[in-house]
Amino acid sequence: MKKNTYYLIVGFIAILLVFVIWYSDLIHMSMLIVVCFIAAVALLYSLRRYVTDLIEDERDRKINEQAMMRTMQVFWVVFCAFSIGAVLQMLRVPTLPPSFGRIPPPPGNEPSPIPTPGSVPQGGPGEMPMGVPDTNHTAIKDTLPDLLSPRMIGYIQLGLLCLMIFLYVGFRIYYERKYGGWETDEE
Amino acid sequence: MKNKIKVFRAIHDLTQENLAQHIGVNRQTILAIEKGKYVPSLDLAFRIARYFGVSIEEVFTYEEESPEPPG
Repeated sequence: MKKNTYYLIVGFIAILLVFVIWYSDLIHMSMLIVVCFIAAVALLYSLRRYVTDLIEDERDRKINEQAMMRTMQVFWVVFCAFSIGAVLQMLRVPTLPPSFGRIPPPPGNEPSPIPTPGSVPQGGPGEMPMGVPDTNHTAIKDTLPDLLSPRMIGYIQLGLLCLMIFLYVGFRIYYERKYGGWETDEE
Repeated sequence: MKNKIKVFRAIHDLTQENLAQHIGVNRQTILAIEKGKYVPSLDLAFRIARYFGVSIEEVFTYEEESPEPPG
């Protein structure tokens, strides 16, 4: 197989994957795109072995290694920090400490730490009865809203992934130039 | 690192493409080595030297950077 044929197949599979994304959204089955993506990558790797005029030598490998290393040096910190924050957010840990940004109640209206007989919930001192608004939690929620919904976390991670690909391409161009990739030929 | 690949290519009447095919690398790699932009690995350097039938020292010359004069 020629190199150009392989690149045409890569483009065709990329377009096909876009349609699969649209279709998996249509039928509400995200597993479809995940399986198709893995299958597409496996197919491309296996097809690559049959390309006859594609030579990857030590200079190509060095450029790949350095570009990937630089990309990961920048991105592993961002990815780890964001992923840890996202996991804690899903575990309902507040983004900021509860005391942060809260307006203190006016004098004389401080909540009493000792429960009065009428204020004790029916299920026990640790539970809140049904229908009674959780004023303390609501106040925290009002001052500290969730910064990111799970949907937004997904979008941001996808955006970071795209940014990482752009950064990798940028580093690759840089190292290609550094190792004489676009030198003019004197022959 | 300096090299005389271009000279040896001229002696053997080889193009960069021909040499690259015989050595098993891309033409861009030969071009980058000739221009001094890329220093080949020992393995590749030996392969190039053996292809021309000479020792590695005849093709590649290691030159240390000249130290700055004191003062």
